[in-house]
Amino acid sequence: MQQQPILVLFLALAGITTIVFTYIFVSSKKAAQSEKGMSNPLKKRFWFSLILFVILSIFTTATLPDSPYYLFADETPAKVVHVAARQFTFFLSEKAIDPASPTGEDIELPADELVEFRVTSLDVNHGFAIYNNSNRLITQVQAMPGYVNRLRYKFKEPGQYDILCLEYCGMAHQAMRASFTVK
Amino acid sequence: MFKNIVFTIITIGFCIKGNAQTVSAEVKEERNIYEKIYDAPLNVAGKQQLSLHELYNEKPLLLALVFTRCSGVCNPFLLQLKENLQFRTKDNSFNVLVLSFDPRDSIKDMNLLAKKFDLENNKQWFFAVTDSITKLNQSISFNPVWDSVINQYDHDALLVGINSEGYITKKLIGIRRGHDMDLLIASVNNVFSPTYRLPSKNLLFSCFNYDPKTGKNKLGLGLIFIALPAVLTVLMLIFISYFVKHKRPEIEETS
Amino acid sequence: MESIKLRKITSVWVITVLILFIVSITLGILMRLNQGEVISQSPVTFYSNLTTHGLTMIGIWFVAGMAAVNYLMQRYIKTSYAANVIALVFTVIGVLMLWTATFIGKFHAAWTFLYPLPFKEMGAATWATLLFLASLTVLGIGWLIWSISLMTQILKKYSIAQAFAWQHFKKNPKVETPPFILISMITLIGVIACLFAAVVLLVLFYAEYFSKGNFVNDALLMKNLTYFFGHTIANEMLYLGLAVIYELFSEVSGRPKWKTTWYVALAWNFTLIFVLTAFFHHLYMDFVQPEGLQIIGQLASYLASLPAAGVTVFSVFIAVYRTKIKWSLTNLLFFIGIAGWVIGGLGAVIDSTISNNIVLHNTLWVPAHFHTYNAMGNVLFSLGFFYWFSTQFSENSKVSKFTTLTLTLLLIGGIGFLLAFYFGGADSIPRRYSIYPSDFPMAAPMATIGATFATIYLIAILIFFFNIYKRCLKILFSPS
Ligand code: HEM
Ligand SMILES: [Cu+2]
Repeated sequence: MQQQPILVLFLALAGITTIVFTYIFVSSKKAAQSEKGMSNPLKKRFWFSLILFVILSIFTTATLPDSPYYLFADETPAKVVHVAARQFTFFLSEKAIDPASPTGEDIELPADELVEFRVTSLDVNHGFAIYNNSNRLITQVQAMPGYVNRLRYKFKEPGQYDILCLEYCGMAHQAMRASFTVK
Repeated sequence: MFKNIVFTIITIGFCIKGNAQTVSAEVKEERNIYEKIYDAPLNVAGKQQLSLHELYNEKPLLLALVFTRCSGVCNPFLLQLKENLQFRTKDNSFNVLVLSFDPRDSIKDMNLLAKKFDLENNKQWFFAVTDSITKLNQSISFNPVWDSVINQYDHDALLVGINSEGYITKKLIGIRRGHDMDLLIASVNNVFSPTYRLPSKNLLFSCFNYDPKTGKNKLGLGLIFIALPAVLTVLMLIFISYFVKHKRPEIEETS
Repeated sequence: MESIKLRKITSVWVITVLILFIVSITLGILMRLNQGEVISQSPVTFYSNLTTHGLTMIGIWFVAGMAAVNYLMQRYIKTSYAANVIALVFTVIGVLMLWTATFIGKFHAAWTFLYPLPFKEMGAATWATLLFLASLTVLGIGWLIWSISLMTQILKKYSIAQAFAWQHFKKNPKVETPPFILISMITLIGVIACLFAAVVLLVLFYAEYFSKGNFVNDALLMKNLTYFFGHTIANEMLYLGLAVIYELFSEVSGRPKWKTTWYVALAWNFTLIFVLTAFFHHLYMDFVQPEGLQIIGQLASYLASLPAAGVTVFSVFIAVYRTKIKWSLTNLLFFIGIAGWVIGGLGAVIDSTISNNIVLHNTLWVPAHFHTYNAMGNVLFSLGFFYWFSTQFSENSKVSKFTTLTLTLLLIGGIGFLLAFYFGGADSIPRRYSIYPSDFPMAAPMATIGATFATIYLIAILIFFFNIYKRCLKILFSPS
């Protein structure tokens, strides 16, 4: 998924940073008393900042459209799943959930079709994070009391998916989970 | 200073209490989403017999359910709807269908209702009755209850969004602020908005977001609160700077 | 006489911070050991330790930066000794209240105490929530007095325009604003703003608490305020450390002092704005937040890194590159700290990209990057100051033989401890889990490895502590 390239990118950047700092440190250690240091620092600083600015701008324009708020925005979902989180369980249902007496049901979702999760919380903030068969985080949204967040996703592979709570919600936060299947 | 803030907040707290709605509305609003509405035959004022699908195929619909003898919520509800939409005169991406759920209502009654609201010549608005109201009610989970004591229906003020394929995209129960109307209109046009508020929780935001006189969205109080710390800091900076000015050593400045 | 008093209270700060640091690291190691299933604590104990660790760490490195800035500021302007004492007293009382709430009352809503969790805790004493809120109030008031006092003293000498170094945008300014004053001013503004956010937040909490349910807060507003405070103070305390570096790096290296130029002034003025809006990146996964604010969040997070890298990092490079300088523990710590800060910043920029955040938010990636620029960044800035401070008033200021050992252990321990977090984050392992579900077979062994390396880090800190505490005590008890 997405995490591996992120880790590689980070390690590469961290490695480059380490090399640059080490190189500069060594250059100081080796320097003779008379050496003048960096030539034209102002110019170099300017280019350094400009290049950094350009890289960051490219990164912004490339990544912003992939933000979850715009994904599958112009399609009608095939299925709606209502989610109500409460310390320390998730209720999932295809019908609307009554906050006074919430109940859930087993959920089975179609593969390759658009599903919309309508996520809310009945008490504190919770996280609604979907993990795939190999326990990778594939998407998430927060469950906030008083609001409904709509998370859209198309599951490609059939199988069992787990939901973990990803916003700290109290003493049994680490045990708060649910699951559903995709056929 | 902070005493004032606490006071303001607590006052707001009470004003919110006043207009809170029944809890069940939030569940009702979630029913039947993305289901198809019953394709009822309609008798539309000033028009021939029609099927509901002919209307929504032409343009997405906002469906309002009322009855003409209502002494309760229907009038303010329609008035509010009309005012809300007045500010969107350029937006003709949808039509409005006002449908009676009272079998006693005739097409004449609906005509009068349209006149009363000065909407009989408005191309965007339709007033209609149907003879299959029960089936239609079922398809949108709308349950008016006859109360023989007050001789009135006990019912919600329900607004249903229907897209051009006849799917129910969103429901609003109760008289709602402009922002919810925006979401409703977006939904019938299949525009995705990643979030919405639950109707029962009218808190800080909604109290100030909506101005009933203009039907416009105001800057939310919440945003003001978020900006408050920065504003306070700047004010304090200027304040302190002014008061310690005389202590500053004279430094010559060309500017 | 003034400066002797300041010297003494600064050494009290140094010793207090280091002792609290050692306790908090120990809590951190215990947490990692519990996650590694080497020891077994109840979840409530784990989470109250998490709360103590988080808030104590933020608190001590904030006051460490403030104490250093206050000490160095005396070179330019007269500062208020009383405000410094008040801050010290309030900090000590505040921390004791906090520890009572967490260790005895088992308050465990984490240092972000996200509304409405403090009101809906199970397994905590009912008085603990109020005591926790009160402890924050005490800390906040003490720090607010201190930062407003410092800002006032700056304004007694410099006008607003001069304090922000605006005259440097013109050619040949008549007055020079020292970089130290500029950065301190910018940072103090940010600190005051986020402390005000904390005040508003606490008032809303109290209003709900004392109205007994008549008044209910809006979760979205509360979350915004929480991160306005929490994110911003964590960010600003780094800048306090940078102010110290601008003042001391060239000095201890035996090089000419850094000057304020137009681009330094511009960069820091921009930083003020970006830092105050970057906190929106904590709410990316709250789709209820208006979309505009989300995009501002990503832009501000990106842009905040530009002036910092272009000016501060580059200035250090210029100062060091092929230049013979006097290396000591102080500027070595500064130099390594800057590297740690950059690397942590890279991890942060990656996470502050909305489309990455959806798979990184609240995984171990988050503690990974913020521990990088704290434990291997900001902490080193302050330790550098501590060391420099402790050698100021003793005759034998020759380089300690422990320098290499301390730095080696610090680097090995720090890097190992952090890598365990980064790999965990890339493996989708959630943060703030007292124990890990069996779905993540690597999580527990990784935590144990993290704990082991953290112990090495702790040893380095202990060596450092024993290296300097005697000198600090000598400063404290020297006759005035
Ligand atoms: C080597 C020393 C340190 C160790 C062993 C350590 C350990 C830990 C651990 C295990 C966690 C919990 C991670 C999780 O969510 O699962 C944590 C969280 C945290 N640490 Fe540290 N840490 C250290 C240094 C620092 C420093 C220097 C700071 C400075 C600011 C810091 C600030 C925090 C904060 C703010 C949290 C988040 C608390 C929360 O989630 O509420 N830590 N640390
Ligand atoms: Cu939870």
